[in-house]
Order: sequence, then structure tokens, then C-alpha cells
Amino acid sequence: MIELRDLTKRYGRQVAVDGLSFRVQPGVVTGFLGPNGSGKSTTMRMILGLDAPDHGQALINGVRYADLPRPLTAVGALLDAGAFHPGRSARAHLSALAASNDLPGSRVEQVLRTVGLSDVAGRRAGTYSLGMRQRLGVAVALLGDPGVLLLDEPVNGLDPEGIRWIRDLLRGLAAEGRTVFVSSHLIAEMALTADRLIVIGRGRLLAETTVAELAAVDDSLEDAFFRLTASATDYHGTEAA
Amino acid sequence: MKNATRMEWIKLRSVRSTWWLAIASVVAMAATGVGVGLGYRSHTPVATAAQIFNNSLSGAILAQLLLGAIGVLVVTSEYGTGMIRSTFAAVPRRRTVLAAKVIVGGGAALLTGMTASFAGYLGGQLAITGTAIPSAPLSDAANLRAVVLTGVYLAATALIGVGIGTVVRHSGAAIGILFGLMFVPTIAAGLFGESGIAVGRFVPLLMLLNAIAVTTPTPGLFSGPVSTLLMCGYALALVLFGAVLLRRRDA
Repeated sequence: MIELRDLTKRYGRQVAVDGLSFRVQPGVVTGFLGPNGSGKSTTMRMILGLDAPDHGQALINGVRYADLPRPLTAVGALLDAGAFHPGRSARAHLSALAASNDLPGSRVEQVLRTVGLSDVAGRRAGTYSLGMRQRLGVAVALLGDPGVLLLDEPVNGLDPEGIRWIRDLLRGLAAEGRTVFVSSHLIAEMALTADRLIVIGRGRLLAETTVAELAAVDDSLEDAFFRLTASATDYHGTEAA
Repeated sequence: MKNATRMEWIKLRSVRSTWWLAIASVVAMAATGVGVGLGYRSHTPVATAAQIFNNSLSGAILAQLLLGAIGVLVVTSEYGTGMIRSTFAAVPRRRTVLAAKVIVGGGAALLTGMTASFAGYLGGQLAITGTAIPSAPLSDAANLRAVVLTGVYLAATALIGVGIGTVVRHSGAAIGILFGLMFVPTIAAGLFGESGIAVGRFVPLLMLLNAIAVTTPTPGLFSGPVSTLLMCGYALALVLFGAVLLRRRDA
């Protein structure tokens, strides 16, 4: 379980995350929705202890991320598709991270098979397509067989086959009783993947709901998303003249 | 700590730049040694043993930059690529990560620097075989000390690179600063004229060429061992400064 308590982050005078409090429960896929710049990635980085909150805390199974003894076995994270050295092979990248948490080398081969990269694992990761990079990121997240998964925009840049693969994978992981927390700015995709939804805008919690509830109130999920985030979008365009 | 060290070792050996820089530093010193030896073969008057010995180690001027770059890249390549977030997510204790980088980067640089230093020495000695120039055997303690201290100096340079990399976090900027720190103080010390030596004995490159990689230090400078310790002190100070910043900053 992930628990946020009044989590706040400021960059200068700009408040990126503003007193966020919510819980993410195990057993279901929870979507983390919000427009671009709404603070989703910053929130995820704070959960992982990469950014320090100015106020409040983020707890995983009751403890701060930094206090987890072997974090990869508790939390798997996909932060962005580029969190690797392009000159290093996928296998070496995974082996290094496995070593850091005392995971056996067999786990590396296992996750490579799971994400379908076994045949290209010896190639330098910089030569990978965007879809393959996302798969490598997912492999890192699965490496320690964690009970909590955190994925920031995992379907970005994936083709339809890849999107379906991620969707099935996440639903399968949640069905095994894991906590799965997935951010996206695409409501349509979230509707297919997630059961519960947490919607934020300008760093504030706008709604904690379910896909079913949203669909019942508005004509479409897209309308519901716009209704929720209307007051919390930073940039608006107009129709082209 | 052990696991973090294993991680860093896998990371260090699995990128090509490490190997290119390490090989280049050994080759640079060996080639300089051989070049010096060959250049003096037909020199009149006949070169002294100290001339050959001191000059054959001068390839360390280049090797220090290459090994320093390895040290820098151990840290900055992670910030440049986003790898640092994977690293800190796997090992949230950041100073453990830095300590592992110091152990692995420093260890690898010590091995490489020592190899390079001996390669420079041997290159010089081999290139003068069969001439009237007297050899400089390692059985002479002063010679052995100079070769070993040069290797340690090179490892310290790599750690200075690790420290600068942790502070600056950007490959280009960090390597620029490293090169600047190696050369600018040398030029600056020259501006002091007669009293330059009082400043020069604290300057890395001048220590290398006049106290560390030589059989007899220039008068007024610290001894070879003290100069080498001073270099290690600089490295320690920079790494500690990096460690302080590492705690406070977002990754």
C-alpha cells in the first residue's frame, strides 16, 4: 500500500504538489490522472525518495522509501524510458541493479523473458526503439518481484500491441494482490486499465473515484476528465483561425 | 555497501568509455616512455639516468586527464542519462552509492595508473638498452618510490574527478573544471616569479613533475610522499563536499 500524507513540493514560489493525501490500495490498478504539469511525476519521485518533499510524507507499507532495506523487492518503478546509460546493454543494466539489492542473476534472465527482450539483451540499450526502452523500464520495475509497482506514463510511445501488453501485464499484477499505481494524462487508456482513479490538477487532489462512477455521471469519460480538471489546467489553446 | 560496490563495478566495466580511457592512459604513458628513450639514444652529451627516468614518466600529464575523466564519468554519465534515478531508487542511501563509486572508481584507477606508470618507466628503460646511458633500476628505492607514487597520484586524480562530478553533475562542465584545476594553477604559480615555489608546491601538475614522478624532488617542494598525500587530501575534500551536496539535492 502507498500512503501520502499532506505531501507538498515547491520549486521557488511555484507549488508543484500541494498537500496531497491519499491511499493506493493493493489488488487493483489505480490510475493517477492529471493534465500535463499537474504534479504527477513530482509526486512519484517523492514517493521514491528521489525528490525531498517540503512538507508531509509518502509511505510505502508504512515506512519511508529510504528506510526500505532492499527497496527493489518492495517497490518497482518505471519513471521514464531513459533511466539507463545508452552505452550499456540491457543485461548489464539489469545485472547492476540486481546486484545492488542482492538479487540472483536468474531474476535478470527471468524479467528479460517477461518483457520479451531476451534476444536483444546483449545489445547496447541506446540502440533500442522507444517501445523496447519502455520494456526495459518495465523489466527494471519487475526485477525484485515487488508488491508495489509505480509506473509513470508507461504507455507513452508504445504501439497498440505494446499498449495492450502493458495493460494486460498491469491487470495481471494487480490480480495477484499487488499495489499498482499508474500515471497517465490519457483518460481513455486509463479507463481500460485502471479500476480506481486519483485525479489531480495543479498539484491538488481533485477526485478519488472509480472508472464506473465517472462513467455513470458524465456522458463520456473524456467529459468527466475535463469537468474535473477545467479549473486546473495551465495552458488553454483556441480553435485555429 | 558490498552490494552497492558490486553494482558500481558492473556499471563501470559495462561501458566502453571506461576501457578506452584506461587503455589510452596506459598507451599514452608507454609511448611517452619509449619516445623519451628513443629521443635520447643518440643525444650528446650522454643522458643521465635521472633524465631518462624523470622524462619517461611525463606521460602522466596526459594520463591524469584520461583517468580524471573516468572518475568524472563514473558520476556524471548517470546524471546525463537519467541512470542516477534508477541507481538511487535501488540504493536510496546516496552516500553509500558515492562511497561505492569511490572504492570502485578509485580501485580501478589505482590499478590502471600503476600499470600506466610502470609502462612509462619500462618503455623508457627498454628504449635505451644497448646505449651508454645508465639504466635506472627499480632496485633503487628512489626509483621504485617515484613509479609507485605516480600510480597513486593518477588514482587520486580519478577521485578528484569523482568529487568534481558529484558537485557539478554535468560531464562537460566537470571535465572542463578538472582540466582547469590541473593547468590553471600551474600557470598562475609561474606569475609569482621567485616566490612561485611556495605556491607551486601545492599545485598538482607541479607536484607531479617536480616531486612525485622524479628520483629527487626539486628543492623547496614537498617530498614525493607528502605531495602524493596532498593530492589524496584534495580528492577527499572534493568527495566530502560532493557528499554534503548529495544529501540535500533532488535527483
